[in-house]
Amino acid sequence: MTNPLRVGLRQERVIAPQSLVIFGASGDLTHRKLVPALFELFKQRRLPSEFALLGCARRPWSDEEFRRKMAEAMETTVNENRAAWEQFSAGMFYEPVDLQKPEDLVKLGHRLDEIDRLRATRSNRTFYLSVSPKFYGSGCRALADAGLLKDPQRSRVVIEKPFGRDYGSAQNLNRVVQNCGQENQIFRIDHYLGKETVQNIMVLRFANTIFEPIWNRNYISSVQITAAETVGVEERAGYYETSGALRDMVQNHLTQMLAITAMETPGRFDPEAIRSEKAKVLQAARLADENEPWNCCIRGQYGPGGTQDAPLPGYRQENGVDPNSTTETYVAMKLFIDNWRWQGVPFYVRTGKRLPKRLSEVVLTFREAPVHLFDAAGGGPTANQLILRIQPDEGAEFRFEVKSPGSGMRSRPVEMEFSYDESFGEPSDEGYVRLLADAMLGDPTLFTRSDEVEAAWRLYTPLLELIEDSPWQLPIHPYESRTWGPAASDALLARDGLLWRRP
Amino acid sequence: MSPQLTLQTPLELPPSEVPGYLEQLWSRDQPNNVGAHTFCLLVWQPAWVEQQLVRTGRLDGPITGVQRTQLIAAGRQAVVDGDLPISTPPLTEAVATCLSHMDGGHTSEDLRGQHVDAALSNLRPRRLITLAPSLDPEQSLETLVAAYCPLPEEGGGTVACGDVVVLRGGKPELQQGLAILDPLLPEELPSWVWWNGALDEAPELLQQLASSPRRLILDSALGDPGFCLNLLASRIEAGQAVNDLNWLRLGSWHQTLAMVFDPPHRRDALGHVVKLDIDVEGNHPVQGLLLGSWIADRLGWELRHSQHNPDQSISTTFQRHDGTEVQMRVSPVPMGQPSIHPGQIVGLRLICKPDNQAAICVILCAESGGCMRLEAGGMASMELIEEVVPVQHLPVEADVSRQLEGGHDSTNPLLAAAAPLAAKLIS
Repeated sequence: MTNPLRVGLRQERVIAPQSLVIFGASGDLTHRKLVPALFELFKQRRLPSEFALLGCARRPWSDEEFRRKMAEAMETTVNENRAAWEQFSAGMFYEPVDLQKPEDLVKLGHRLDEIDRLRATRSNRTFYLSVSPKFYGSGCRALADAGLLKDPQRSRVVIEKPFGRDYGSAQNLNRVVQNCGQENQIFRIDHYLGKETVQNIMVLRFANTIFEPIWNRNYISSVQITAAETVGVEERAGYYETSGALRDMVQNHLTQMLAITAMETPGRFDPEAIRSEKAKVLQAARLADENEPWNCCIRGQYGPGGTQDAPLPGYRQENGVDPNSTTETYVAMKLFIDNWRWQGVPFYVRTGKRLPKRLSEVVLTFREAPVHLFDAAGGGPTANQLILRIQPDEGAEFRFEVKSPGSGMRSRPVEMEFSYDESFGEPSDEGYVRLLADAMLGDPTLFTRSDEVEAAWRLYTPLLELIEDSPWQLPIHPYESRTWGPAASDALLARDGLLWRRP
Repeated sequence: MSPQLTLQTPLELPPSEVPGYLEQLWSRDQPNNVGAHTFCLLVWQPAWVEQQLVRTGRLDGPITGVQRTQLIAAGRQAVVDGDLPISTPPLTEAVATCLSHMDGGHTSEDLRGQHVDAALSNLRPRRLITLAPSLDPEQSLETLVAAYCPLPEEGGGTVACGDVVVLRGGKPELQQGLAILDPLLPEELPSWVWWNGALDEAPELLQQLASSPRRLILDSALGDPGFCLNLLASRIEAGQAVNDLNWLRLGSWHQTLAMVFDPPHRRDALGHVVKLDIDVEGNHPVQGLLLGSWIADRLGWELRHSQHNPDQSISTTFQRHDGTEVQMRVSPVPMGQPSIHPGQIVGLRLICKPDNQAAICVILCAESGGCMRLEAGGMASMELIEEVVPVQHLPVEADVSRQLEGGHDSTNPLLAAAAPLAAKLIS
């Protein structure tokens, strides 16, 4: 049961009238994520009436065709909210644009002026590049050349991931986009940062006095960050074959979780202050063994699995995948952060496809009590753990020892739980809802800055170089679908006397 | 941020020449036409208390219509000097009436309409029209026009220009000058009307100015409570977009009450409410009634009857889905240092009696007031949940700016549901 007093109450910042221009509007992301997120914002009255969505792609669609295609793709939602959709879709337009053709950009400028007059959108424009990564640089340049980014207060560009393929290409791309506009106009999206629970890590740490004093090497013995997926490569084989888990998940999502977990306290809640702290901690991070990365990184690839009734193909048997592919679908690694707070604390990071559960979490394991006064049910007392559940079942959990009932003084671990769904009267928004709103508000807090992106790529450079130059030194360990990855990954932690948490 | 003045000295033109002058100024044929394509704002800016305070020498000019600290302090002093009840809000009609009986002949520059608060000017309105009635009803109509182009902000930015039009004079004269307004509010731009005065001080004028599809910003805390609620209800019913600043100020009460019932184990109690008490400052129950109506609407209560009591409270009986009656009472309480906004809520008490469980008593109090009155009467024998509701200190111009910034062409659905019910409670 939702809280009836919560319905319709949102303390949100106000989005100014504007046009959102999506390049790649005929693509998957637009109808799967972007337009549903915008429609959600509309239903929540967080979009102003003076709002327009202009879809752009090379296909020669009309406004009406664009509206119809979006409505078809979101059929269930649209049918449930027919009147709202009619209102929302009245502000949807389409303009055929090829970003490589300057004349198309001139035409786009005229169309936007026309929409400004029609919808009173006050010349505020957010351009969303939902196009192939190879067009990010040229797309920005085309917008700048057409004069569409000249007002830093009123125009901004959102760039999807991946931002570069390695440190060098990320640097090059940064140089290109920074020549097109100011840094505060560039919004590099990482949809993990749109998740309520990722943002909650900051609130948990910096709004409570009990955590921050113990959030350091004196009290925390290790940190585990996991992003597990149950699905395989699905329809993305083409892209995945060229990226792999390291580029697809670790360099961006997991590294952002690591940065937020490990960053220093910002002086104020200000986008630049927060992004500076994140960049600083990433600059201090390194692979546990940079000279011999194979000692701290395990790559894996899912093999066949499932049951006789429901068999699951291995990665190499998937459509579009090279039967001899050496692309990793699983990565586990050990990192250190060389600063006063974290020196010597291992950060274990893992992600994989076709694992037994879909979940993302951050687990902070605290040091054991210096003296064991009591017998423990499990032989020895369990270390305290703070588990931040990012998805699904968003929330947090704290494990600590209590006295076991009975006449003796034996301890055993129990869990104290906080669940977002249960504690708040309504479910939290999907990540894109938050991020689109923030981009339109011009708030870059949850978007990655150029130095963060570069620091993240630099962190994994030894691995990427090794995979490129001598891949046999980082072999692919096969693992059965729907298991927790290769045994070598367990061995990585076993060397430190630890285990991966089995959620 | 400090208020901003127009850069150019306003040009005084005969009223009939204003539309033509502005049309020519922004003509598409003009080179460098950079008129901001944003919105138009029409403001009814009487500033009666400010004008009276200046006239009686209690406040230094110029008259701006902006709610500044000195104005509020002078208003509070006038309440004391005028022997008004101590809980009289400092900028209300009662203070203006009291001051009107005092001697004084001070004059000052009148910059209403030219002195634009930064919260509004930052939104770059294309046209800001101010109707500035003078104390002297005989004063002839003056029409001032000024175009302005804000300096490009640091770091670049394009220039977008707008204009300021001020109509100043006695109320009858202003009424005659209204003929020029329609051509000044182009259809292609959203138009807002901000009635920054008591809602019942010039009903016909309000009717005339605030016709749909113009979006209305008003404050239901200003004016006769019954009139305010009926106006709100009728405008909403007519489909006009109504933005009530008094409703906006209820935000923290909505949030805090919802927060109390967020934990799942408390949500069930919402189906077992039996009593609701709301205390408001002074004798203006509108905000209290709006909050009570919002709760009734959200919980699906049906109105049975409502009555005014001799102590100026309003008692209402609702019926829950299960047939049980819910008693609601909105009571006035005197305050030593009242808010500048009349009738702000100071406390709420909600009692739930779930079956086979201990009764729950929720008490919310404003941080400016106390809860002792609501805590009395054996409330501690129930499961007592108390919260302090933060008071918002935003100036009215900032509230208006928030409405303009995220403009909507429809009324907030929660207000649209609560206002008609609140109007029934007071009638």
